Amino acid sequence: MSKMSRRDFLKRSVVAGGVVMSGAGKLAFAADGSPVGTFYDLTKCDGCRDLPVPACVTACREENQQKFPRPADQIELYWPRNIKEDWSDKKELTTRLTPYNWTFVQTVSVEHNGQTVQVSMPRRCMHCDNPPCATLCPFGAQNKMPEGPVLINKELCLGGAKCRDVCPWGIPARQAGVGLYMKIAPKYLGAGVMYKCDLCYDRIRSGGAPACVEACPKRAIQFGETKAMLEAAQARNSAINGYIYGDKENGGTSTFYVSPVPFERINEKLQEQKSRQENPKAPGFPGTPVEVGNILDTANGTVAGLVIAPLAGAFAAGYAAYKTMKGGE
Amino acid sequence: MAQKILPDENKVQRHGFRGRFTHWTVALSTLALIVSGFGQMPMYKRYYIADLPGLGWTADYSTTLIVHYLAAMVLLFAVTFHLVFHVIRKDYDLIPKRGDFRTSYLIIKAMVTEQEAPPSGKYLAEQRLAYAFLAFSFLIVGLTGLLKVLKNLPSVNFSAQAMVWISDLHTLSAFLLVFGIVAHLAAFLFRENRPLLPAMFTGKVNLNYVKHRHRLWYARLSGKGSAVSLQEAPAQVPEENIRVS
Repeated sequence: MSKMSRRDFLKRSVVAGGVVMSGAGKLAFAADGSPVGTFYDLTKCDGCRDLPVPACVTACREENQQKFPRPADQIELYWPRNIKEDWSDKKELTTRLTPYNWTFVQTVSVEHNGQTVQVSMPRRCMHCDNPPCATLCPFGAQNKMPEGPVLINKELCLGGAKCRDVCPWGIPARQAGVGLYMKIAPKYLGAGVMYKCDLCYDRIRSGGAPACVEACPKRAIQFGETKAMLEAAQARNSAINGYIYGDKENGGTSTFYVSPVPFERINEKLQEQKSRQENPKAPGFPGTPVEVGNILDTANGTVAGLVIAPLAGAFAAGYAAYKTMKGGE
Repeated sequence: MAQKILPDENKVQRHGFRGRFTHWTVALSTLALIVSGFGQMPMYKRYYIADLPGLGWTADYSTTLIVHYLAAMVLLFAVTFHLVFHVIRKDYDLIPKRGDFRTSYLIIKAMVTEQEAPPSGKYLAEQRLAYAFLAFSFLIVGLTGLLKVLKNLPSVNFSAQAMVWISDLHTLSAFLLVFGIVAHLAAFLFRENRPLLPAMFTGKVNLNYVKHRHRLWYARLSGKGSAVSLQEAPAQVPEENIRVS
């Protein structure tokens, strides 16, 4: 029998208790099916040097054209602020993540073991195992699907961008002037809809691969069961004595990168590039923070308290009631 | 805890330490839950609330989430204490009784028209109704909150539809709770209700106020007269006797 840690036991007990309490056993399922993931071999990707736009980016844009936002002509500012996030005049931008560009390639030159190595890294949503973007959406507008991808419900999203704030990479991109908030009080509440890679959900549901995977001329992107992708990444990593990214970050993701140079160095270069941009604070240009934690780790670490508190309350009440009744009150 | 008449002080012991402790623990933890709960929506930053001195933390989701969890623990402790204590003692004074809607109407009408109110027990009919409303809101917000805690665990995932239901019910019941609390506090806009206020701090209320407005309770405490006869023949108490000193 495998050893169960106290934390695991507690977690399972809470889950079992919750399901019984809610009677919602049908609704809950453990995410232990056979979800899909991707493995990016950065020793093969060259960012399509010979093309004006990398093939994966072009394929993604063509594939998802129909899903891109169609905002209103007149977009209100986000009262009481004098801002709005409108990317509709930057639809052609392919050098960062925008509501109209769900993947792009970052290229850095890194000194490693006395050599200068150029690394190209296609970026998009990592489709995390326990995605805080989906878990923490106050309106339930984002979900981890059994197949693995994390999807945004554009009918329900109000564009608060909390998902972007809790994502270690700030992936989801916001477009104002579109979505549910336009039907309520667009000036005062809501801010648009968040957009990001859905791993070509319709394609993978019908057994296909994401458009970027098929388009890669270097076969640098592999797609399949997450487990198999992790194994492939680990094997490749051992073979080149390299570095792996995405297996531990944010508590685990379904996107694995293998690089010949450390991701700490890549991150430094990316931060340099970002700081030199026209607006260094603009979203859509993720770094590669190594072993970055999940925002939910601390909260989840306190769950035992939520089990103990009512037990303590009941115990204290029993004792108090016994004492008062004994005292004839 | 013991409810009793304190003739020397011209007061009645209404709540003991335990009752007041439970009330204020529920109140303060609920306030923390409401503030941190609203912080789960992206509003404190947008509306400049986080720019107010000392409120910068309200825009930080990791902080407000921990505050929400810790306050939920305190609330769970107090609520289970309250429920278990009263169930063991079979003390159901706050549970609504048949006719409470009508009696509430009569009591409120009496306040507005400044006429004699129907006799009450320890709690006024509208207090029992308010308790039921708040308890219902707490139940829904608490259950959906616990489901949200489960959902936050790495090993748990809910279907898209369940997520929408749980999230929206949590938000909706939180709004019901806020409405209930506002109504609860609004009760003190009526002068007639104000003598009850000291009971939440010192545990005591004015004896003449009890004799006048909580005649059934007074009868029970003093062992004088039956509730039925009191209901039929409300005592006439001069207005000046009900003022709290």
